[in-house]
Amino acid sequence: MRRPLRGLFAAGPVVAFVLAFALVPAALLFATSIEAAGGWGALGAVVRAPLNAASISNSLVQGGLSAALAVALGYPAGVFFGRYAWPGRTVVRSFLLLPFLLPSLVVVLGILDLFGPGGLLSAIAPFVTFFGGGLPGIVAANLVFNVPIVVLFTSIACEGTSAELEETVATLGGSPARAYRDVWAGPSAVGAAVGATLTFLFSALSFAPPLVLCGPRCYTVEARIWSLDQVFLSPASAGVLALVMVGLFLLPTLAYLALLARLRAMPGRRSRALRSLSGRDPVAVGLAAETIAVLGVVALVLGAVAYRAVAPLGRAGAGSAYRALFAPATTARLGISAWGLIGNTVFFASVAALIALLVGIPAGYAVAHRPVRASGLGLFVFLPLLLSPVVLAFALASFWRPLLGGESTIWVLVIVSQSILAIPFALQSLEIPLTGLGPGARESATTLGASPWGAFLDADLPRVREGLVTASLFAFALGLGEFTATYFLVTPQFTTLPVALYRLQEARQFAVADADAGLLLVLSFAVFLAVVLGGRRVEL
Amino acid sequence: MSSSSPLLAVDRLSAAWEGTPVLRTISFALDAGEFLVLLGPNGSGKTTLLRCLAGLETPTAGAVRLAGSDVTATPAHRRGIGLMFQDPALFPHRSVYENIAYAPLLQRRPRTEVDHEVGDLIGLLHLEGFEDRRPDQLSGGERQRVALARTLAARPRVVLLDEPFASIDVELKAELHAIFRAALRARGTAAIHVTHDREEGLFLGDRVGLLFDGRLEALGPPSEVYENPRTPRAARFLGYNVLFGAEGARAVHPEDLSIGPVDGPGVVATARAVGTLGRETLVILETPEGERLEMRSRDPAPRLSAGSTVRLIERRSFPLVADPDRSGEPASLGES
Repeated sequence: MRRPLRGLFAAGPVVAFVLAFALVPAALLFATSIEAAGGWGALGAVVRAPLNAASISNSLVQGGLSAALAVALGYPAGVFFGRYAWPGRTVVRSFLLLPFLLPSLVVVLGILDLFGPGGLLSAIAPFVTFFGGGLPGIVAANLVFNVPIVVLFTSIACEGTSAELEETVATLGGSPARAYRDVWAGPSAVGAAVGATLTFLFSALSFAPPLVLCGPRCYTVEARIWSLDQVFLSPASAGVLALVMVGLFLLPTLAYLALLARLRAMPGRRSRALRSLSGRDPVAVGLAAETIAVLGVVALVLGAVAYRAVAPLGRAGAGSAYRALFAPATTARLGISAWGLIGNTVFFASVAALIALLVGIPAGYAVAHRPVRASGLGLFVFLPLLLSPVVLAFALASFWRPLLGGESTIWVLVIVSQSILAIPFALQSLEIPLTGLGPGARESATTLGASPWGAFLDADLPRVREGLVTASLFAFALGLGEFTATYFLVTPQFTTLPVALYRLQEARQFAVADADAGLLLVLSFAVFLAVVLGGRRVEL
Repeated sequence: MSSSSPLLAVDRLSAAWEGTPVLRTISFALDAGEFLVLLGPNGSGKTTLLRCLAGLETPTAGAVRLAGSDVTATPAHRRGIGLMFQDPALFPHRSVYENIAYAPLLQRRPRTEVDHEVGDLIGLLHLEGFEDRRPDQLSGGERQRVALARTLAARPRVVLLDEPFASIDVELKAELHAIFRAALRARGTAAIHVTHDREEGLFLGDRVGLLFDGRLEALGPPSEVYENPRTPRAARFLGYNVLFGAEGARAVHPEDLSIGPVDGPGVVATARAVGTLGRETLVILETPEGERLEMRSRDPAPRLSAGSTVRLIERRSFPLVADPDRSGEPASLGES
């Protein structure tokens, strides 16, 4: 029997957390900004301001272009992953998650290392500098993150199509093209559309790529809000623009969640869904070639970062770059030692992951029991992502910083922002194992005399342990790489490795920045290996 | 089987999965309008055989001829052989009518002809009133009837049925058996039906084949196949007891076993369970060698209880040859 009240109670912590640390501060920020800007009429004026209008246009262009190209490049590879069995498929599929788990700045650095002036590829083929900056560079960075996401969602959709129905179409006289049209074109398009909308949102709200690869003329709304508040010291305009941004991206967010719900409603993995790869099948060969090319470029970008981490720019070599990172001069420049950077990064990410898990488990139960409609809660926890990291940080700083007593407690807000941004993804990794958890074992434990808490510990927890580990690793990785909100909030003493990477890059300390990126890469790769070697499956 | 050229001829067909043989030199023929049932346990190669016949798998050796033409290399969509799975695999977003009309429309038949064909099949499969329903509004049995109607609408020369009744309730099964047989007979369509349900197979088939470990071990009229199992595994599958003696293995029907005097001749066995099945008494026994035996009797009051040791009398038995894998000799009958 369902217990709605218990379910609502289980959703309570995550609802309270998101309300207290995201939605209420954001609502207050919007209200005070509108009031300070002179009322609702300010909305039009802010939107019409040339640089703001340009940022909206940049967001739409960068988001749209990145989404279209991500689908064009990712769809064939997704079909290849979702329909064919080949040696190493599971391992390569796991690697698709790597760019998503990496800090955004590391990928941006990879673009610079490969295509930028003095880049590894531009030294050989100067024409590739086209991708080293400006709009092409930004789109290239967005693609490195997002093509794997399109590939993953498309492959999930293809795996969910019915092999029996496809074979039935063949025995009824339908050609393979007809089977594509009537059986699996629709589901695979849904998968690609989920990836496309997520790519659009991530790219239109991106921060690091326009900041590092282009500058103000390419700023997205996100970067423009940061610039208005932090550079031009105009928080009211920044707040109003943030409200415009939320309105602008609400529809794509709803579309993403609706498409995701549709994808999840598909029947799941079917028997014989994967077919053997045959060298005589020209379609399979073409898809394989495209997949190798796309993943090869992604690997090249990540490989460039890894290469620069062991062979930094300049002639002094890796040893001296790492020594310089730990040297007093860098400590003086950043206001914190390298050990402090590592400590802050790991500590913030760990606590953020713990919080995401603590509020995520009861929320996962609430979704599993469905007293609160899963899609409603999904939208609710996804709202902070729609707010974007900059607006979230802006709202937290406006509302909570004065209440917490100023800059000495800013680390609390860094942790809160990282956990809020990780919750939607942690919840999705928890939701599936929790939903699949039938009441049988728990009820058996109860009838054998276990208390409700004992039944949870003995019957449920062991069965969702893998999901918990995956969710916490995922939340930890997202915290490790979080740059935007952290950059907005931190003071020097609470600086993290991604923020230091940007500051070193900005100060043209390229070799030391490479060393910083190397440390981030090692940490992120360790998390990735823990996910992959444990055979865990992360849900986006 | 008639002496004229068969509709479908399977000639020494072999198939393998990742190097492991799944079908071993299978040969048989199917006449027009015939209903052939292939019986076998799970993993015996039944589904692989159907997939090879439909063109969904490529055999490693042998040939498939349809109406005299070699179709071994013909792709499934050009072969003219229909296949129905255990999962009816209906288009979830199409109505019953649209599902059935799928193949005729694919064949670009005139609309009036399609309407006539679909109406005919709806009547034949007792689907009147369901035309506008979606698959999720149908019961399991109704979905299977729609799936057969859709398969027949393509006018295949042979229909392959892959355990279509496996997930259907017992009560509904008998009704579906009758509907399926009548529909196929009315259309004059030949069919090969594979199943692990021996009663279903023996009831439905014009001829029955036994498939074990990728080999066709018997093929003939149901009563003939049932009465003459050749190997221990065929005998066990058909419900016989298998007893071993100095002269080799022999099969004894459960109804041909009875309890004799303790000091008389016969096989010694221990009763493991005794119960009634309506008017019958069923006794499960075990020999000292570990062979499980079944005895059925009309005696309403069994004279033994679980744990008692008895001596069994065989009213009738017949000899068996060793299972092919044990002797190493293929037992395929190779009829063609």
